[in-house]
Amino acid sequence: MHQIIAAKPGQRLLLMGNEAIARGALEGGVDLVAAYPGTPSSEITETLLDVAEDTGIYAEWSTNEKVAFEVAAGAAIAGVRSLVAMKNAGLNVAMDTFMTIPYGGIMGAMVVVVADDPGAHYSSTEQDTRVLARYAEIPCFEPRDQDEARAMTAAALELSAQLELPVFVRSVTRISHASGDVTLGHVPARSPDPGFNRHYGMPFRWGVYGPPGATSKHAWLHRTFPQQLAASEQSPFNVLTLKDGARVGIIAAGLGSAYAQDALTDLAIGENCHFLKLGLVNPLPEQQLKAIIRASQMLLVVEEGDPVVEQEVWALAKEHNPDAVIWGKWKQQAFLPYGELNGDLVRNAVARVFAQDLPACAARSEMKEKLRKLVVPRSSTLCAGCPHLGSFWALKMALRRFPGTHIVNGDIGCYEQGGYGIFGQAVKDGPERKQKQPIRSPYEILDTCHVMGSGIGLAQGQAQAGYREGKVLAVAGDSTFFHACLPALASAAWNNADITFLIMDNSWTAMTGHQPSPTTGNGQPVFDIPGLAEKLGAKIWQARAFDLEQATETIAQAVAHAGPSVVVLTGECALQYIRRERPGPGLTQVDPAACTGCKICLAVGCPAVTFDNTTKKAGIDAVQCIDCGLCVAACPQGAMSAGGEDHGS
Amino acid sequence: MAVNIIITGVGGQGSVLASRIVAGALLQHAGSDPQYRVRVGETFGAAQRGGSVASHVRAGSVLGPLVGEDQADLIVALEPLEGLRIAVRYLKPGGTVVLNTRAVPPTDVKAGYAQYPALEAILEALDRLGGKVIALDATALAEEAGSIKAMNVVLVGAAARTGLTGVHRETFLQAVEDRVPARFKALNLKAFDLGWQCAGEAT
Repeated sequence: MHQIIAAKPGQRLLLMGNEAIARGALEGGVDLVAAYPGTPSSEITETLLDVAEDTGIYAEWSTNEKVAFEVAAGAAIAGVRSLVAMKNAGLNVAMDTFMTIPYGGIMGAMVVVVADDPGAHYSSTEQDTRVLARYAEIPCFEPRDQDEARAMTAAALELSAQLELPVFVRSVTRISHASGDVTLGHVPARSPDPGFNRHYGMPFRWGVYGPPGATSKHAWLHRTFPQQLAASEQSPFNVLTLKDGARVGIIAAGLGSAYAQDALTDLAIGENCHFLKLGLVNPLPEQQLKAIIRASQMLLVVEEGDPVVEQEVWALAKEHNPDAVIWGKWKQQAFLPYGELNGDLVRNAVARVFAQDLPACAARSEMKEKLRKLVVPRSSTLCAGCPHLGSFWALKMALRRFPGTHIVNGDIGCYEQGGYGIFGQAVKDGPERKQKQPIRSPYEILDTCHVMGSGIGLAQGQAQAGYREGKVLAVAGDSTFFHACLPALASAAWNNADITFLIMDNSWTAMTGHQPSPTTGNGQPVFDIPGLAEKLGAKIWQARAFDLEQATETIAQAVAHAGPSVVVLTGECALQYIRRERPGPGLTQVDPAACTGCKICLAVGCPAVTFDNTTKKAGIDAVQCIDCGLCVAACPQGAMSAGGEDHGS
Repeated sequence: MAVNIIITGVGGQGSVLASRIVAGALLQHAGSDPQYRVRVGETFGAAQRGGSVASHVRAGSVLGPLVGEDQADLIVALEPLEGLRIAVRYLKPGGTVVLNTRAVPPTDVKAGYAQYPALEAILEALDRLGGKVIALDATALAEEAGSIKAMNVVLVGAAARTGLTGVHRETFLQAVEDRVPARFKALNLKAFDLGWQCAGEAT
């Protein structure tokens, strides 16, 4: 039994933020959970799936965030309590439905947990979900730590039930993926009783166009504002502390308030400073803000993401204390308006506002700068035995048969590493609009990477624009195919775009931690990707990622085809193979007499292939090697011998 | 009061489990004191296999999840280069580094694009940063305990011996037991002891 339900109320556990959010959902009486995996949000739903049977809640992985959002909204319209969890970019996918649900709201309760990623550790952007809370005009909680993440998720479900509106919980990487002490609250008994009424509280409540129309639904949303504001003013998560005689005020939201509080402790200046800790950040508590603005000559706003609170502070200060000096990340920058905060940055900013000098040691900084040169980079790579290494090698060999500068569009998944480069390798930029760049390893094979499914769309634009200097391709994984590629592939077929689309099916949603995908099986029928793609109107080829010869030949045939072509490359994720089969050390070997030191095996990009710069011979790291056979097939000298069975066979 | 620890290594080596054991022991030590909090800032989750991994473990009157620059009282390095990477930024002058001497060269090095620094150079650098270094072949000790995979627990044992966490040995042993699969319990307790002994000889 998972520890979040095995432990008793009042017990103190060390929980990851995402586990704490899952516990908070149970404490808020959640009935239904839906999500699509996305780092750093995935463990919320993984945890709730783990406890679904024991608690009787329903939880699912949906095919994308928009579907997940709709599943949760549908449940809430039917009167139960739901939660949908996603990463920052997931909200963009759900955006269309997300914007309209507040027009009329829901009948049960609905919490939308979005894990933002300041610093873009795992994301394409640093977008700030609090801006979207304003855009959609719904409440937004922002936890300071893991225990607040738990408490706020439960409170958000309550507030949602009260307002009949979806409510946000905005987490960030350093909350979701960090762990902290969490004191468990009470889990209520549930008795979900779904119901439906077309005209519940408002004519045609669930149809934005239902008479008297969408504007009336928008007006209804605005009528909730006094209640939203009251919730913020009275929230136990917004705490104002005014100190007699203090001239400086610190306003800090979410994780920013943890950093700010630590800075006050470190610098021992808590007694000289007004402090407004914010946890319910949309709408902001106006009375508390006005009070601290009036009481302070100087203000420092600390928040992760955009200057959302800060701009409100500027607006209020104009009326209530126009002489106040406001520091933040907007006009007077104590912080950069991009990147993530940390304790050092916040402590330095607080010290600066208090005109305190922090001890600095130039000699130490200089020494550290020198020592840093010893620290060589550690590029992330695909795993030893990864099927994508085979697909990329075959793609590279197939493209050599065609002249010109080819464009390979990628998107999001483990295979996005096909565009990461190897940090140790120098790269030069150039002003030329047309220039062929070498593909030195699989880590240089992808030319574009933006979001889930973006590759196949961009490829069509390039092809339809008349790019004829080379071939145009796109790649995507199996989970991404179901998430975001189906409409794009239908469009490619419909408009007869001359592109080749590689679907690299490794049977798992691997990058986010091996959640099942529609091709995993797990006792359910496996979705037929080739059949589906063919029905959509593309010409289909299939090959095995570990069979380099067959894969190369197949990709070349598809690329030669005029019009939309699809190659489905199969081979299971190596990590899942290792977890299941637990193979011993690799048996693949290099014959040093036959090895000429040509380094072609290295170009396969497998982290188990090594090279000795002294002897100029390749080698195999037996601990990592799983005998997939890719390097054996790539070696032109026949110097490598296969050790065991190819795991994909 | 606060204790700041960073546990670092290469993805797949078990630094996350090591940080869970240390943080679990600290939480047990904290009891129900609401002013004594435990935080673990972790970087993992997206294709970090084979990449650098660091877990920041903080305990005491702390709120934020990250250790500040030059603030780490203790660095536990499952791999020497990763130990240096973290120490250059975070080691407090006078802080302690518990270091596995067994190198895992990055792909950049294996492919010949970069050179892995000699162990002596890493130890010298740690010395210049003001670190007290406890260097051990934790991988060999783990093998002696029964599996190289217990290398992380060997280092936890060595880290526990430094006394820097303020946590009793028995609390650590319980934290190990609570977090490893039952069938590997004896093996991991032995690994902990080998690290504990080794650090005792070194100090």
